[in-house]
Amino acid sequence: MISRSALTRGSQLALRRPDVSKLAQRGFAAVASPKASYEPTDIAGVKVAARDDHGPTTRLAVVVRAGTRYEPLPGLTVGLEEFAFKNTQKRSALRITREAELLGGQLTSYHTREALVVQASFLREDLPYFTELLAEVISQTRYTTHEFNEEVENVIHAKQAKIGAVAIALDAAHSVAFHTGLGAPLYPTANTPVASYLNENSVADFADAAYSKANIAVVADGASQAGLAKWIPSFKAVPATSAEGLSNTAASKYHGGEQRIAKTGTNAFVLAFPGSSLGDAKPETAVLVGLLGGESSIKWSPGFTLLSKATAAAPGAHAHAANFAYSDAGLLTIQISGGAAAVRKAAEESVKALKSVAEGTVSKEDLVKAIAKAKFDLLSGSETGGVGIVHAGANLVHGGKPLQVAETVKALESVTADQLKAAAKALLEGKASVAAVGDLYVLPFAEDLGLKV
Amino acid sequence: MAPPSLAPFILKRPWLAKALLPLSNWYSNAAGYRQLGLRFDDLISEEDETVLHALKRLPAKENYDRVFRIRRATQLSLTHKLLPKNEWTKAEEDVPYLAPLIAVLEAEAKEKAALDNLEIIKRH
Repeated sequence: MISRSALTRGSQLALRRPDVSKLAQRGFAAVASPKASYEPTDIAGVKVAARDDHGPTTRLAVVVRAGTRYEPLPGLTVGLEEFAFKNTQKRSALRITREAELLGGQLTSYHTREALVVQASFLREDLPYFTELLAEVISQTRYTTHEFNEEVENVIHAKQAKIGAVAIALDAAHSVAFHTGLGAPLYPTANTPVASYLNENSVADFADAAYSKANIAVVADGASQAGLAKWIPSFKAVPATSAEGLSNTAASKYHGGEQRIAKTGTNAFVLAFPGSSLGDAKPETAVLVGLLGGESSIKWSPGFTLLSKATAAAPGAHAHAANFAYSDAGLLTIQISGGAAAVRKAAEESVKALKSVAEGTVSKEDLVKAIAKAKFDLLSGSETGGVGIVHAGANLVHGGKPLQVAETVKALESVTADQLKAAAKALLEGKASVAAVGDLYVLPFAEDLGLKV
Repeated sequence: MAPPSLAPFILKRPWLAKALLPLSNWYSNAAGYRQLGLRFDDLISEEDETVLHALKRLPAKENYDRVFRIRRATQLSLTHKLLPKNEWTKAEEDVPYLAPLIAVLEAEAKEKAALDNLEIIKRH
C-alpha cells in the first residue's frame, strides 16, 4: 500500500493551481467560446486594437488608410507597399532583413482596396524590437531613387506579370460598380500607364499624407496590454495629422454596368451586385454567399452549394461566391473561371441558381447548411491572422468598431428563408456589374443572362 | 575606387582647411584636368564593379554631362590642345558627384560582409 502522503506533494500542489483545476473541469463535450474580439484602445494618440490569447507568437500590423481607394495617383499604394522595410534614416534594408531573420520574424506588406498593411509576425518576447521597427518604417523610410529603380520597379513588374484573368475581371467589375475610389484597380496591370505617376518622389509625398496618427491603426494579435502600453509610444515620430491629408475620400456610390476585355489564355467572368459593407453588415448576404458557395468543403462531392451544382453541368469551370466588404459599400461577387464555353454555361447556370433563390425554392436543410457555412467562414476568418487583422484595423481607421464575433454569429443564426429570398430578389432587380475577360466571341453579355446593367 | 585621401582629416579642422585651400587649388590646377574641362570625379577609373554600379545610379543629366566632358577631353588630348581659359573648370564647379555614390555602395558592401560574417552570442 502506498500511503497518501507518499504521493508526491508536488502533484497535490499542482492540482491546487487554478489553471490545472480549470483543465480538469473542461469536459470533452464543452463548447469552446469564440476567441476574444479585438479590443480598441488609444495609446499615446495611436489607435490600437489588441487581443491576447497568450500564445507564443505575436502578429503586429500597422493598418493604414492608404489602399488603392485613397491613392491620389494610380499605382502609389503599390509603390508605398513595396517601399516598406527599405532603407530608413537609421538602418539599411539589408540590416532590417537580417535582424528580422535572426529573431525569427517575418516582415510583410500588402494592401487591399482600402488599407495598406505593414505587418510583422514574431516571437512574443520580441515585441519591443518589432514595434520600434514598424514605427521606424512608417516614419523614417528614405524613399531613395536607386532603390526605386533597382528594387521597387522590378518587383512591381514581376507582380504585374502574374495578374490573372480573374483578378482583371474583379478589377473591371469594381471599376464599373464604383467608377472612382473603390473602382481603382487593386494592382495596376502591365498595360496601365503608371510610369508617369509612380516615382520615388510621388511615393514619398503619398507617404507623408498617409502615415499620420489619424490615419493609422496598430493591430496586435497575441501581445500583452502592458507590453503595448510600454512600446507603442515609439510611434511618437509619426505626425498626429498630415498637412495635406488624403485627397480621395469621397463616399462610394454604386453604379453598375458591364465591361468586356479581350484576353488570350484563361477566361474569367464576374457577376457582381451591391453587397454588405463593414459598417452595415447584412447577415442575409453572408448566408447567401454561404448558400451560393462554390467550393466544396468535403471530398469527392460537389457539396450542397448552388454554384457547385451549377458548375457540375459545365465541366472545367470553377465558380465561387464572395462578398467584398468595404467601409461604406460592399460587393457580392460570383467569380467564374475556366474554358470559354464552360464559363458561359456556368454563368447561365449561376444566374438561374440566383433566380431560384429569389423564387424561394431554397430547402430548409440547405438554409441550415448555408448558415453553418457562413458561421464557420466568419469564425475561422477571425481566428486566423490575416483577415481578422485587416478587418479590425480597417474598421478602426474608418471610425467603426472591430468585428464583434459573438454578436455577428447570433445575427447569422437568425436569418430566415424569407430574408434570403428578399435579398436575392433585390439583387436581381437592381443593377448588376458584369465583367467578362477572355474569349469575347463565346462569353455572354449580361443582357443574355437576364441581368439588368 | 576613390583614391585614399587626407581630405576628411583636413576638412574636420576648419583652420587647417582654410590654411591649405590655396595649396589645394594650386595643386588641382597644376594637375591639368581642369584645363581639359574635366572634374576630379571624371578621373575615377571605370574598370571597377562598384564604380560601374555607381555610374548606373547617376541621374540621366549628370551622366550625359560626364560623357560630354570626357569626350571633349579625349578630343583635346588627341589634338594636343587646351580649352580656352574661360571654359576651364572653375574650382567651385569641381564638386564630387560620383564619390558620394561610391561611398554609399562601399558602405553597403561593408555592411553586407559584416552581416555575412556575423557571430551570434547567445545570452542564456
